Amino acid sequence: MSMAKPNLEARGKVLTKLHGREMVNCFQCMKCTSGCTALKLLELKPHEIIKLVNLGFVDELPTSDIIWTCVTCLKCVERCPQKASPYHVIMALRNLAVEKEAKVPEDYLKAVSHILETGLTDTPKKIVTRKLQTVDRDSLKLPKIKPPMESFQSALMKAMEEK
Amino acid sequence: MVRDGFIVTKIGVYVCHCGLNIAGVVDVEKVAEYAKNLPDVAVSRHYTYMCSEPGQRMVQDDIKTLGIDRIVIAACSPKMHEDTFRRAVSETGLNPYLTEIVNLREHVSWVHTHEPEKATEKAEGLVRMGVARVRLLEPLKNRRVKVEKSVLIVGGGIAGIQSSLDLANAGFKVYLVEKSPSIGGRMSQLDKTFPTLDCSACILTPKMVDAAKHRNIMLLTNAEVMEVKGFVGNYEVSIFKKPRYVDAKKCVGCELCTRVCPVKVPDEFNENLSEKRAISIHSAHAVPKIAMINPNYCLRLKYNKGVCAKCQNACEAMAINFEQKPEVNQVKVGAIILAVGSEVFNASKMAELGYGRFKNVISNIEFERISDASGPTGGKIVTPKDHKMLKTIVFVQCVGSRDKRFHEYCCRVGCMVTLKQAILAREKIEENVRIYVCYIDLRAFGKGYEEFYRRARDMDIDFIAGIPSEIHGSPDGSLYFDVYDKGTNKLLQITADLVVLGTGLVPNRDMGHLSALVHASRSADGFFLEAHPKLKPLESAMSGVFLAGACQGPKDIPDTVAQASGAAAKVIDLLSNGEIELEPLKAVVNKELCSGCNICGSICPFAAIEIHLEKAEEGAKYRAEVIEAMCQGCGLCCPACPSGAIKMPQFTTSQVLSQVEAALAEPLVKGGK
Repeated sequence: MSMAKPNLEARGKVLTKLHGREMVNCFQCMKCTSGCTALKLLELKPHEIIKLVNLGFVDELPTSDIIWTCVTCLKCVERCPQKASPYHVIMALRNLAVEKEAKVPEDYLKAVSHILETGLTDTPKKIVTRKLQTVDRDSLKLPKIKPPMESFQSALMKAMEEK
Repeated sequence: MVRDGFIVTKIGVYVCHCGLNIAGVVDVEKVAEYAKNLPDVAVSRHYTYMCSEPGQRMVQDDIKTLGIDRIVIAACSPKMHEDTFRRAVSETGLNPYLTEIVNLREHVSWVHTHEPEKATEKAEGLVRMGVARVRLLEPLKNRRVKVEKSVLIVGGGIAGIQSSLDLANAGFKVYLVEKSPSIGGRMSQLDKTFPTLDCSACILTPKMVDAAKHRNIMLLTNAEVMEVKGFVGNYEVSIFKKPRYVDAKKCVGCELCTRVCPVKVPDEFNENLSEKRAISIHSAHAVPKIAMINPNYCLRLKYNKGVCAKCQNACEAMAINFEQKPEVNQVKVGAIILAVGSEVFNASKMAELGYGRFKNVISNIEFERISDASGPTGGKIVTPKDHKMLKTIVFVQCVGSRDKRFHEYCCRVGCMVTLKQAILAREKIEENVRIYVCYIDLRAFGKGYEEFYRRARDMDIDFIAGIPSEIHGSPDGSLYFDVYDKGTNKLLQITADLVVLGTGLVPNRDMGHLSALVHASRSADGFFLEAHPKLKPLESAMSGVFLAGACQGPKDIPDTVAQASGAAAKVIDLLSNGEIELEPLKAVVNKELCSGCNICGSICPFAAIEIHLEKAEEGAKYRAEVIEAMCQGCGLCCPACPSGAIKMPQFTTSQVLSQVEAALAEPLVKGGK
């Protein structure tokens, strides 16, 4: 049996990030968890995260892996009968994790550096067509992707530093 | 007392603490002290509860011993206690209209909770305005008017029927107007009723017949209220009666016509789950049991005067009349009860649950029809379209209610309806059929309701604490979905043959039209607004207009019947004397000043002003005249008059301007001039 004491200060921090209580105003109908895309494989339970934040059990959340499993499909936001938003809560917790310099999954860091370098979230890949030909941008004679302008990089860096 | 040619009054100011409601924010002692320095104020006091017996006596004693002749009560809203203080004042022999209420609660303490100093300053300003106005108030006399001892009841559901029977038994003439061809309303569609499981038709039909037979009740079915004129005690109502194309006096309800009619029409009474004919009788228990032709479907009425007429040939009573025209009935009534009920939420708005897309996802009112012996499946609980046997039934709660995207309120009946339907299903179908109820909170709050919930649990009905996010359909018509259960912390994967949505109650679509007709306001949720949520739940804000049943808010049958009887008692209270006392707030024309320009007449929303040619010494002149019976005292005419000839007692130009001046003035201090 895990025992815990609420940490109201940390709870306050999360609520400040969420600009108030609106996003955690939940009556535990389980609709978000029933439909969560990340539940079956990764055991993400949005209702549990919201309740933990509500009660102030927020110490372990930023350092846990579970907050990084959300695939941001936003089903929970669309369908919440109380217009609460597990998605926004999870995003706030991710920001908190970065602030606390907790472990961030490698793929996320990779994506960030990729955006900085190329302006894209992913590298252009080769694909196989229906006729089983392997093509890429070069073979399709598509123009080369230009790296982003320096102003883009500096703006992004600045935004990250402010966080 | 007269001083320098002016009438000097002795004003008493009484500041109420209202417990801590006012005193918790406003410095009442300071306000009372401040009022002492206002002109003509002879006494200024403060007290914990002015409305209490000692509070009222304080005012009465001051009137008797100090000769106070104007009273300012700085307390709560005049809607709350103006009558209380007017009564207290008139008991001493002083005219009750020399009382002014200053609202320090709703207008000050409750809205400026966090700014006590500014609130106190505002309270002082309002008291200053009240004192300025009270000096100019004039004694007025209430008017007594005769009232019609008859009542209009809009809506022939269980609420309207109950109110009608109570009033008719008390000797009042009742006009019961129902939109559809039969009375009975929503309750007549139900199979059984919770928590006793008595058959809805068995307890309702006798009441429907009683209402139809009662000599004091005039039943107007297939009719709608078209126009309401007049005021409390004396309404003139126009009722539009749509044609049935069947002579109500001749039709015997034999249903010969319905057997020959070739046109199939969806049966609304069965929630469109079955078909009836273009000529049909509303339902098996219809009252009155008279056939009606639907003009939108009948071949003869819709297309061609020459075709068909099969029903006319079949009718032995010669009751069919294709030439029937709509009628307008004029009735005079003293009061109106609105009992138009509610509608069931249209679940297709909640796309994720698949209502409207999957044939085996149905609403709870459709389940009632399936379960009812007179319904489309003859009472067998099967799938609605292809009548297949079931292995699993799932009920999903709170559809459209407790949902900020649709209706924020709790529908108040959904939990009990589902418990009842789950029990009915369990009683009617085989033991190995699984029945699940997916719920958020189960609310069984009424008398015998919790016991009913226990009964459902005893009957092997599975309760899942959680609701599905979405419902998927298979090509074979079965449905599957995941639902996370709070109790077991498991994601249950359920395949069901029938999903019944616990759809809530929503405001009736006729309410907009009706609220405009009788000036009854509606609350944020769309239902009719009661005059006070606790102390006046049966009255609308318009005097003479009462509310019964689910049009005031979602209600089950016991509550609806209770409110309907209550509204009937309120009407008896209002009309039984044969006359009522009305405030003297009617516009008055000064004939000397009136030039007959008719600006007032053109602006009056109640058509209460007429221009007459009157003989005067210097020849005939046009003059405005106020028809007292029509004037509602809104006061629009007064500022419109270019010569100041029309005025509203209690709100004269000088009285209102004195308040404005006091509002703008620097705080006056006696002796400081």
